[in-house]
Amino acid sequence: MNWQFFIEVLAGGLLAGVMYSLVALGFVLIYKASGVFNFAQGAMVFFAALTFVSLVEHGVNFWLAMLITLSVMVVLAIGIERLVLRPLVNQPPITLFMATIGLTYVLEGLSQMLWGSQPHGLELGIPDEPMEWLSQAANINISQFDLAAALVAGVLVAVLAVFFQKTRIGRALRAVADDHQAALAVGIPLRQIWAIVWAVAGFVALVAGLMWGARNGVQYALTFLALKALPVLILGGFESVAGAIVGGLIIGASEKLAEVYIGPFVGGGIESWFPYVLALLFLLVRPEGLFGERHIDRV
Amino acid sequence: MGEGRKIGGPILIVDDISLSFGGVKALQNVSFDVREHEIRAIIGPNGAGKSSMLNVINGVYQPQFGTVTFKGEKRHHVDPHHAAAQGIARTFQNIALFRGMTVLDNIMTGRNLKMRTNFLQQAIWLGPARREELEHRRKVEQVIDFLEIQHIRKTPVGRLPYGLQKRVELGRALAAEPVLFLLDEPMAGMNAEEKQDMCRFILDVNDQFGTTIVLIEHDMGVVMDLSDRVLVLDYGRKIADATPDEVRGDQTVIDAYLGVAH
Amino acid sequence: MFYREAGQFKSTYAGDQQIFPIRQDRIGVALVLFVAFVVVPLTANQYWFSAILTPVLILALATLGLNILTGYAGQLSLGTAAFMAVGAFMAYNFELRLPAGFPIIGSFILAGLCAAAVGIVFGLPSLRIKGFYLAVATLACQFFVLWALQRVGWFSNYSTSGVIAAQKVVMFGYAFDTPRSKYLLTLGIVVVMALLAKNLVRSETGRAFMAVRDMDVAAEVIGIRMMHTKLLAFAISSFYCGVAGALYAFCYLGTVEPEAFNLDLSFRVLFMVIVGGAGSILGSFLGAFFITLLPIFLNIGSGWVAGAFDIEISHALVSNLESMVFGGLIIFFLIVEPLGLARLWQVGKEKLRLWPFPH
Repeated sequence: MNWQFFIEVLAGGLLAGVMYSLVALGFVLIYKASGVFNFAQGAMVFFAALTFVSLVEHGVNFWLAMLITLSVMVVLAIGIERLVLRPLVNQPPITLFMATIGLTYVLEGLSQMLWGSQPHGLELGIPDEPMEWLSQAANINISQFDLAAALVAGVLVAVLAVFFQKTRIGRALRAVADDHQAALAVGIPLRQIWAIVWAVAGFVALVAGLMWGARNGVQYALTFLALKALPVLILGGFESVAGAIVGGLIIGASEKLAEVYIGPFVGGGIESWFPYVLALLFLLVRPEGLFGERHIDRV
Repeated sequence: MGEGRKIGGPILIVDDISLSFGGVKALQNVSFDVREHEIRAIIGPNGAGKSSMLNVINGVYQPQFGTVTFKGEKRHHVDPHHAAAQGIARTFQNIALFRGMTVLDNIMTGRNLKMRTNFLQQAIWLGPARREELEHRRKVEQVIDFLEIQHIRKTPVGRLPYGLQKRVELGRALAAEPVLFLLDEPMAGMNAEEKQDMCRFILDVNDQFGTTIVLIEHDMGVVMDLSDRVLVLDYGRKIADATPDEVRGDQTVIDAYLGVAH
Repeated sequence: MFYREAGQFKSTYAGDQQIFPIRQDRIGVALVLFVAFVVVPLTANQYWFSAILTPVLILALATLGLNILTGYAGQLSLGTAAFMAVGAFMAYNFELRLPAGFPIIGSFILAGLCAAAVGIVFGLPSLRIKGFYLAVATLACQFFVLWALQRVGWFSNYSTSGVIAAQKVVMFGYAFDTPRSKYLLTLGIVVVMALLAKNLVRSETGRAFMAVRDMDVAAEVIGIRMMHTKLLAFAISSFYCGVAGALYAFCYLGTVEPEAFNLDLSFRVLFMVIVGGAGSILGSFLGAFFITLLPIFLNIGSGWVAGAFDIEISHALVSNLESMVFGGLIIFFLIVEPLGLARLWQVGKEKLRLWPFPH
């Protein structure tokens, strides 16, 4: 058994998992605060990345482009709150879920209508090359870029955790997630909160979009990668930031390992369904996820 | 009050039932019996565990300890489907009607255990399925007549006022021709006239069909008038089990309702 | 004025149970069937058959299937296309491997049964999970089935690209090889299956489905078996989708690859359910019509605009516009009329009863 190879694959998987986590984080934020399962998170990632990359290609300065894209995401969030969430506020969660499916189509069409559908490259200045010292010392190749992505994710998670636990807005978000009516009753401005949450999720989508885009290029296939975040959420629980991270790591690692070690026996291409089947099996054993809360049906 | 109605031996025996949710003890060592053809009331302050008791009897909750014996069959864990098949029907505190269906369809679902045709026969419709549907429709119409809800039979239940919804729920349970009827606050939220009607229906069911009735109720007047025996729960424990008059005078019961610390 | 029920009293339960109790409805339906079976084949051209009518009917059948599962039984599924794929590929295999005289309808039915079996397997999780968890689980079905059809050579008779060419549609010596004959065959199959579905949903099975959808705890308490009901819903729904898939391959596409049954198709059928009306047989047809015709109208519309303003409108733009309009429509319907076109139709009929009076 080639241990170096195994570690490479494992590390590659874990780091890919971190990327999934980034997308899942956006989901968790929105679900925690508004109880909406935002199927359109992937489309938001795509939209953010595409907007940014197109601005940069038109000659806009890197940081300015970031700022503009961020503002666009905020405007998008406000628009979504007003046009989609507000009219559907008392509907059952499944209706909101289906509305976000509709939103996905709108965003995907809009992105490509505005910026075209050719793939774009994205340069972040971090090379996708193995780290010198590691490959020299132990003959293990782990990409610098992947590591940088992990760091970024880590920082983002830490910032979000502090945000939720320590700040006033964070507390308000948690209150809203628990019980909309009660939150309203204590005077929390529901609509503003939702707009804020979707804007923050938009920011997370932007970061995720940048990382993914730099790794794989900004193209339509990005939306499918984002679908992979769904098994991550199932493993980690829909309401847990920690769960998004752990779930992402597990999905990323298991997906790569399965592809490399089991794949050759069954013709390859397992990655397309393995995470979903894994999540499915997991659901049967522990429906609320590793970090989720069990719901008891009171009659 | 059902003169001439003969009360038989115990049809339901609840033995030493304990039920907890996580750390919350809903029921503790509750034992009582229900005799055939009688009307048994369960009363107690809010949170006493009355609904939980009904849920244990027909299998919605599984108790940690104790057994339930119905028609001679003793069980530690009751399966809700089996309970229904044995002839236990119930109504719920918060109305468990099927909102997407009409009154007629809701009550028809109560007949599901008596329907024998399979889905293929139903897809073809002509023949056995059609005959069966019409036969059960006749029975359901009898229930509709009994409850005087003919005028709303095609209305989706979501549109009905609360009192009528409760009546429809009663109808759905009645349609199953049950042996034991578990009623969870059938008169909650009703005005005096609606309560009169509901009392009349319950008495008629007991009188005409001989159905044994267990009912949870807060209105003491109703309890005193209708029931043969009363079970009193408080904080999940049984604190009294006697006739309405005896219970009315029982000091522990009065204390429980007045909230005297004990 | 025309649409009156006055004088049409029902004195038997049997009369009340009819699918179309109002005489005007019966006349209307008879008219529609007449047009569909007689007028259209005589007057429509090839384009209409092969590009519009046949696919609409096939997708209506698939929508019917999904409606049974999601609209009536309340189990959300994003794997519709996978069941269609099973139907298509299994029909191909049955035609390939069974002796020549075996009627093609038989292959379609067997293919449907295979899809039903797959449906039962992937429906098992519904016994423990609900709502969007179940939706994600159905994604597992969608991706796994597509992968299996592509990688396991047997399904496509070991063709290198996974593409299959549907055989000729021959039944009892009669070859259905023109667009018109394929349309009529499809129409016949779809009408029969719609009738079976209608019977099913207004009988005890249908009520059991709706009970599980509305409040499954209560359903269990009155004696409805969860496992049996949910798995039956998956089975019947998948059967319908499987037959639709077989028709999709044999009477519409001709050559089929697994990719034709991708996630986008699953979503498209879901949109048809939402727009047409969840929990409605008529709605399935309305939704299929609407969603299939929409891109065509958009194309024509953009052609006009391009001509009128003398500008270039690229295909990419139109297809992106189509995406946005689909998404927007879904959101619109969910907000304004969650019960879809079928409900709007009902409301329209009620207004028609009073016409020309306002109330």
